[in-house]
Parts: sequence; structure tokens; C-alpha cells
Amino acid sequence: MSAPEALKGTPSTRSAPSTPLYGQFPTALGFSVREQSRNRLAALLLVLFVPLWYLLMTSIAGDKDLEFKLYATGELLSVDGTHVTLITAGMNSLTMISGFVVFDAVRKALNFDKRLAFAGFRQSTLIGAKMLAIGIVAGTIALYTALALLIYWRPGLSGWATVLAGFVAMTLTYGSLGLLLGVLVKNDLEGFFLIIMGGLTDTFLQNPLGNPAANKPVLQYFPSFGPMQFSVGGSLGDTVMWRYLGFGLIWAASFAVIGLIVFHLRTRSRRPTR
Amino acid sequence: MTPRPQPALAARDIHKAFGKHQVLRGADLTVEPGQLVAVVGENGSGKSTLLKAIAGTLAVDSGEVRLGGELGYCPQDPVLNLNLTVDQHLQYFAAAHKLHSLDRADELLGLLGYEKYRETAAGDLSGGTRQKLNLTLALLHDPDVLLLDEPYQGFDWETYLRFWDLVDQLHERNKAVVVITHLVFEQERFDVLADLVDGRLTPRTAAAVAAKEHSNVGA
Repeated sequence: MSAPEALKGTPSTRSAPSTPLYGQFPTALGFSVREQSRNRLAALLLVLFVPLWYLLMTSIAGDKDLEFKLYATGELLSVDGTHVTLITAGMNSLTMISGFVVFDAVRKALNFDKRLAFAGFRQSTLIGAKMLAIGIVAGTIALYTALALLIYWRPGLSGWATVLAGFVAMTLTYGSLGLLLGVLVKNDLEGFFLIIMGGLTDTFLQNPLGNPAANKPVLQYFPSFGPMQFSVGGSLGDTVMWRYLGFGLIWAASFAVIGLIVFHLRTRSRRPTR
Repeated sequence: MTPRPQPALAARDIHKAFGKHQVLRGADLTVEPGQLVAVVGENGSGKSTLLKAIAGTLAVDSGEVRLGGELGYCPQDPVLNLNLTVDQHLQYFAAAHKLHSLDRADELLGLLGYEKYRETAAGDLSGGTRQKLNLTLALLHDPDVLLLDEPYQGFDWETYLRFWDLVDQLHERNKAVVVITHLVFEQERFDVLADLVDGRLTPRTAAAVAAKEHSNVGA
């Protein structure tokens, strides 16, 4: 018996309990990030579609003022329609890209993850690594989209930071929705449609330009409500409303928790032992 | 009564229905260490369902499975991550099994003859090579019990022969191996041929029948 073994005093009959060749967490994290960032279509959409979408949306918006209701203060902000529309356009493209990236990666890898779990990969490690990978990828998408916004509008550093934070909350929400759909839905098309339609409906309804009812209370129950309020309040109303960023993060956490529970159930062993 | 050695695998009274279609109706399978068992049966007779149930990837309606050691399961359709290379698959499963070396993996890659594809993504491999990787992942941790669901699909003749060399080695090293097969000319390779008919398994050889009746065959 080697000295370290003797010190540990383990009665195990297994030989040489030195550290395994590859740690489970770093291995799973590295490969999960790789998997999610290898989606070429999503990368192309991010690089080309986002700036183009901003351009299209601003040209539709024109430069008339719009009234946007800030729920934290109850005030009705009179804001430049272009600016609100840019934030909406950013959120709108984020929802689709982050949802698509995570959905596609999670769905394609589900059986493989199941095999890994059966081979002895701790499910909690797999889940943690997957979630952190979603965070990294979602953060990168949000950062790029917020940077691309600067081509059309310079809201000042703190204003831009609130837009970025709202974007991060949105990518996390739709990334988590992608995870949930990835473990639930059987076909690609079902998932894509749900993400695209959900994202479009959600973000468009928050913009008074596209939706005359945008300031109605019912919109509080949509995922993009909190991040939109936070970003608009911070960049156009000089009000930083952390609680509303929290609403966005609660949506993200809820989708993620349900998704991860389903993931756990779908990758567990069903062997009938007694 | 002398205590019998614990079987490597004991599946008892496995029932599984898909909707109204009753696929397994009380299938039993006992495999001793060092035994090589073939499960044969028509298409749709439930061979893959049985292996999935034993492996634990499919929930059964009733029944019990006991394993006497570590399990390796090679599913019929390769379960791989198409974005990852062969080497990355090996790393991922080495992490899963907490392996201290990849010596066995290197050995298997050599034996099945696909070392040159180490850096190739699984999505770019041919069907036969994917199947080799699929099999390698099942054998990586040198399990005591092996479930192989038509493991040589897409193998060329040379690889097919190497596969049987591999199985012979496992056999000699006292591993329990269950293979789903269609090929009649392989029959003499097995210790037991079990027919899956009407949701139940029936051993075909006299030796197996005797073993089932608890007589002490080897001694």
C-alpha cells in the first residue's frame, strides 16, 4: 500500500485511488461550451442578423416620440421611439438566438448525456456544467448584441450597462427555455416554432410602437417585461430598477429549474433492482 | 444445499408493454461469469427492449434485474455526440468512469483499427467507424457484464473477425457477454443461444437447459 493510501486508511480494495485522468466538472463544462458554441447558423445569425435587424427596426420606427410606462415609478416616459425599438429589436433577436443555440445543443446531446450518466457521470455535475455553459454562451450573445447596439445609439455607460444587464437576463431566460424545450420536445421544428413565436410575441408586445396596448398591466406576466422595464428605465429614464431585473432572472431560474428536473428524470437509470 | 456462485446477470420476470402491445411477458435471463450468450429472435420480438430494460435505459412494467459487477452496454444505434471527436469521446467517458489511464481505449482503438480517426468528429465518421466508437465506449472501463446489441453492424469482414477476437478475449477473462444477433452461422461461437419468442426467452442448447435446471454443469 502506498503512503497516501495508508494515511487515508481506506478499506477499499480498489487499486491506486489517485486522481482520475479527467475531472468530471471541467470535462463536462469544456465540452458543453464547445457544443453550444459550434452552432454555425446561430453564429451567422448573431453576426449578420443582429445589426441588420437593428437597422430595419429603426427605419420602421421613424423618430416620433412614444410613451412608455415605467411600472416602478408609475410615470409615463416620453421617449424616442427609435431607442425603445432598438432595445426591443435587441431583445427580440436575443430570444431567438439564445433559445435556438441551447435548444439545439441540449436536444441533440440528450441521449449522449444519458449514456454519460449511466457510465457514472454524476448527474448534478453534468447539470451544473451545462447550466454554467449556458450562462457563458448567453452572456457572450448578450454582450455582442449590446455592443452592436452602439452602432446606432450611444446611451452613455450606465444606460448601456442597464441595457446589457437586461439583455443578459433575456438570454438567460430564453437559454433556459431552450434547455426546457430541449429536454421535453421530440422534434426540432416544434422547439424552434415555440422559441420563435414565444420570443416574438413576448418582446413585441412590450414596445408601444408595435403594440398600442404596450403599457397595459397584463404585460407584467411576460418574461421580457422585467428586463425591458429595467433596460428602458436605466437607459431612458435614469432610474435603475433592480427589482425588475430580478423579475427577468426569476423567469430564467424557473425555466432552468424545471428544465434541469426534467433532464434529471430523463437521464436517470430505470433498472428495476430490488 | 451448496450455495451457487452469484450470477453476473440475473433478469427475472421482465414485463414490458408499449401501449396495448405486450412485448416482454416475463422474460428471464441468467448469465454466469465467463458465459457468452446469444439472444436471437425475429424483428420486433423485443430483443433490444430486453437489453434496454437490463441496461436501465428503459423503464419496465415489472421484473427485477441484478448485476454481479460493472455493466457495459452497447446500444444498437450508436449514441455519440456528433460534435465531439473520437478522442474527446474517450476523455468524456474516462471522466465518467473516473479512469486513471486510457490504456484500454488505446488497445481497443488498435484492435478495431480506427486509430487514424482520433481527431475526427463523430459526425464525420462512416457508419462502421461510428459503431466501432460506440462499442469502444461500452468496453472502456473493462466491465464484468456486457450487453451488445448487434454490435458489428456496418463492420467490414476484417473488423468483424477482429470483433470476435475481442469477444474471445473477454470470454477467456471470465466476462459475461450477451450479444443480440441475427446471424445463424455464428451459433457455434456461443455457450447459450436463447430464443426470444412471445416475450419469453428459451435457451436452445441442452447444456443451457441443464444449467437452468440447477444441475452443476461445469463440475
